[in-house]
Amino acid sequence: MATLTLSGLTARYDRTTALHGLDLEIADGEFFVLLGPSGAGKTTTLKCVAGLIDDVGGEVGIGGRSMTGVEPYERGVAMAFESYALYPQKTVEENLASPLRSGRLGSWTPAQQAERIKQVTTTLGIDHLLKRFPRELSNGQRQRTALGRVLVRPADVYLLDEPLSHLDAKLRAAMRAELTQLGEMSDTTTLYVTHDYQEALALGNRIGVLRDGKLVQVGTPEELWTEPADTFVARSLGQPEMNLLDATAVDGVAKTAGGVEVGVPAGVSGPVRIGIRPRDLTIGTVGAGGSADGADRLTIAGRVVLAERLGRAVELSVDAHGDRIIVVTTDQKVHEDDTVELSVERSAVHIFAAAEPGQDSERIGAAEPIRVAEVER
Amino acid sequence: MARELRPGQRKYSPGSIAADAVLVGWFIFSLFPLVWMVLLSLKSRSEQISTYFAFTPTLENFGTVLSDEGTRLTSVNFTEALLTSVINCVGAVIVSLVIGIPAAYAAGRWKYRGSNDVMFTILSFRFAPELMVIVPLFIIYNQLGIFDTNVGMIWVLQLVTMPLIVWILRSYFQDMPAELEQAALLDGYSRKRAFLMVALPLVRPGIAASALLAFIFAWNNYVFPLILTGSRHTPVTVAVTRFLGGGGQAYYNLTAAAALIAALPPLLVALSIQRYLVRGLSFGAVKS
Repeated sequence: MATLTLSGLTARYDRTTALHGLDLEIADGEFFVLLGPSGAGKTTTLKCVAGLIDDVGGEVGIGGRSMTGVEPYERGVAMAFESYALYPQKTVEENLASPLRSGRLGSWTPAQQAERIKQVTTTLGIDHLLKRFPRELSNGQRQRTALGRVLVRPADVYLLDEPLSHLDAKLRAAMRAELTQLGEMSDTTTLYVTHDYQEALALGNRIGVLRDGKLVQVGTPEELWTEPADTFVARSLGQPEMNLLDATAVDGVAKTAGGVEVGVPAGVSGPVRIGIRPRDLTIGTVGAGGSADGADRLTIAGRVVLAERLGRAVELSVDAHGDRIIVVTTDQKVHEDDTVELSVERSAVHIFAAAEPGQDSERIGAAEPIRVAEVER
Repeated sequence: MARELRPGQRKYSPGSIAADAVLVGWFIFSLFPLVWMVLLSLKSRSEQISTYFAFTPTLENFGTVLSDEGTRLTSVNFTEALLTSVINCVGAVIVSLVIGIPAAYAAGRWKYRGSNDVMFTILSFRFAPELMVIVPLFIIYNQLGIFDTNVGMIWVLQLVTMPLIVWILRSYFQDMPAELEQAALLDGYSRKRAFLMVALPLVRPGIAASALLAFIFAWNNYVFPLILTGSRHTPVTVAVTRFLGGGGQAYYNLTAAAALIAALPPLLVALSIQRYLVRGLSFGAVKS
């Protein structure tokens, strides 16, 4: 059990820089999730903490002690690799016993080893597989074995690299629920890497969003969801991605090409982007077109161009006078070519700075009521 | 009505029959020298230069090659030559493995300044013609006093065996995920123990395959022992050719018999590690 501190952490591979000065403080016992697309530097961060990468700048501190020049085994970290890294020539039992038998992490009698292994494998539900080789296991069982090798040994910090990524959707959901219930997980400092925003939101006490080797935002799941630092964080969370509409702000009102109008925070003018999550929009079938601005809700009228039925939900692509908006609804009665009225709480509408298409831009704030009494139409 | 083909069954078309015929022709052509050598080894002295297939076969030649009579004809004891070859080749392969496995591991795992140059230098031992270095080597061997010794042969055979073993094993180590050893490092094992415990057992098929190839190449080497050995430590490749010129008389039948005997040890080694070999040669081709 220990705190984990990264200060100015940089890492290089040959000529490319994987991490550009990461600063992070993780509290004792915290479950911290690093979220980011592939190639963002998530695994590199874990390996830097574990001491497995040579060309590292900055400092890693565990329990207040600098880890510069400290051998991997001395750091008190246990790591589950994305590839599982189970020893192919050893059985599940031997794999789990490996950290106990190395003699450097402590000493256990054979009976104590067996007991620890028994305890961990029972928790993970793999106690009937002890005599099997990794090649004889399913991916889910391999993943549990890799997790078992982490849990079986004493460690101050757990490093988990996409431990659920190779599982099918059903098993992943089940394991996600199990992970939080593992006692060891809840009191040991854990650094967890994933590219799955649902995992991050469900598991993390706090989340750090990583892009191109830089931390974009660190915060609780609520903070990241309600106040994303920029369009990158906003689009990383949620499926389908947040709608971003280009607009121009004049006199405190941002107006899109299609006529959607929202109030912007004071002092904002010029080009902006309006962000609305597909699941925040609700749907009603009202005849009139255009957009009206009620007291606390923003409504947008449009025509359904495409309706994809995904079982419980329907994903709609709505054309609002030229603005293309994605909506997810549970209303099964909506069909293509219907005219619908979308409505969203004003507090769920985000205003971002403008940027070139494909570029990310910072969040300015939430939408505000239009101060001008009525919008002529 | 089109008939379904069972697995293993082939449809014959004029094209495929022609292709098969060409292949069979090529097969006979390339195998013929071997067949001729077997026939020659069974011929008696009086029939050795006849080109007829009809003759009275005899196993006498094999006995002659291994007996004192053979030693008298060539002034080299063929049995001793076999033993010398075994000592030289096994010794050379062992030395190459002991040095080459760690070298291949380092080359496969780490990039350091000049690592490519080192690997290229090792490879260049293989593609430089042996005749290019043989004269300086002869002088060096004479001055060092290792001319016509087993140590000398084992040393010079490193030029043959080391590049093979290092280059083949390097690709095996590169194919093996580094995370396995990283996991071992986190489990509390030292670099050395991680290598011995995790990496080494996984490349065993590669070691078997590369060691066999190196053994065969070392066994077949002719130029180095021809120049660097005298009559005391003559290996089998040189001893075979002695039957062609011993006492101003060529014994083609004895040469063929000796060559057949000389071809046996590599064959036996290959058969004995066949199990590893098949796995070894296919390793790395399939991503698990």
